Amino acid sequence: MDWLAGAWAVFRNDLRIELRTRYALNALLLFALGALLLILFAVGPQPIPTRVQSAFLWMVILFAAAVGLGRSFVAEERQGTALLLRLNTRPSMVFAGKLLFNLVLVGSLGGVSTGALLLLLDVSVARPGLLATALGMGVLGLAVATTLLGALVARAARRGALLPVLLLPLLTPLLVSSVSATQKAIQGLPWTEAQDELLTLVGFVGATLSAATLLFDYVWAD
Amino acid sequence: MASSVLSSPTVYRSVRALVVALLSGALVAGFLGQIPQLDILEQSARNLYFHVPMWFALMMGTVISAYHSFRYLQSGDRLRDIRAREAAWLALLFGLLGIVTGMVWARFTWYVGSGKWWNFDPKQSMAAVLLLIYGGYFVLRDSVEDPDTRGRVAAVYNLFAVVTMPFLLYILPRQLPSLHPGGEGSPAFTQTDLAPAMRWVFYPSVLGFLGLFWVLYTQRVRLSWIRKRLRREPEL
Repeated sequence: MDWLAGAWAVFRNDLRIELRTRYALNALLLFALGALLLILFAVGPQPIPTRVQSAFLWMVILFAAAVGLGRSFVAEERQGTALLLRLNTRPSMVFAGKLLFNLVLVGSLGGVSTGALLLLLDVSVARPGLLATALGMGVLGLAVATTLLGALVARAARRGALLPVLLLPLLTPLLVSSVSATQKAIQGLPWTEAQDELLTLVGFVGATLSAATLLFDYVWAD
Repeated sequence: MASSVLSSPTVYRSVRALVVALLSGALVAGFLGQIPQLDILEQSARNLYFHVPMWFALMMGTVISAYHSFRYLQSGDRLRDIRAREAAWLALLFGLLGIVTGMVWARFTWYVGSGKWWNFDPKQSMAAVLLLIYGGYFVLRDSVEDPDTRGRVAAVYNLFAVVTMPFLLYILPRQLPSLHPGGEGSPAFTQTDLAPAMRWVFYPSVLGFLGLFWVLYTQRVRLSWIRKRLRREPEL
């Protein structure tokens, strides 16, 4: 099978299953919105500094992703379809397809959470381009890490809270840089001010993507 | 097979004797010896002999653990998995010691007067995150039943984590304001942190801690290997 066609087929398959019930997407978005509202109730009506605003945003995205993602590999193992997938596709196709699917999920999660936060707190973003870049890089890194770790967790017998335990410490660099870049976007600082954060994000995403691509074969192979 | 687990007794005994001598020397000289008067650090500068070598031992643990994880993925040899696990365990141990000595040191230099034990200095926080990553490694190991899958899953996680560690330990702490030496682009000590005379205790202490790592590591690997053999062949 052509590599692109194979990866696309894996993605289409996951997307179709998801669109039948919309379980993962709904759970993810409701978790994020619920958490966001809860945080804002807990904080109460008072002006929130931009640093804290961007910290809220990324904590909500990170926790929602840690709780809600990584189901698609578990579902493959549970329904016994993992073997069929192993026979019919190469590991890299599965990785690319699942990564694309997770990217769609995390992308919608990031978009909706950001929109909700900006609306609820009535924040006007001075540099939307910078915010979109930070969000895009953060979402990409998050999707890469959850795809690889989701495949790892699917091999475990006791899953429970395993994904958050593995994911959160690994994503600390991503969190720190994204929060800082988001804060600078809200404050309207020039792009050159956020250079360190953006370069760190690019480096982090590049390093994790390369490592995940190389390592996925070993998780997937039986 | 056993020969690959057992280091030769002569080598082991001589390294052990060297470690005992070096660490005893470092302890005596560290606590009782004369130290140069450095600003702010004053008597707490003695911690240099213990805190910094602990971090070197941690680094050695992460590198050895990652190397054996890599070789495990290549070969599937169970001994590689044991080596990776024991090195990670020792990295966690030395990391904990390093963080405790670092906390005490920070309490009496950076935060003196404020009474704080922890104030989220980037180096401290990132070191704590590093320990969480190794904690996750062991939680992951415990959650997989089948030994071959466990080895592979753990090795993949270990290597993936190692890729993120440079960001955690080197890139981020340099972007954030930190009181810890080694920021501002310079990885080495400056004259304010290390007086030349201290090298005579510091370097042997580093050697001693790395040797201690090696002694503990080889013994733990042997122990795990024997336990595994006994499970398989209880009559032994």
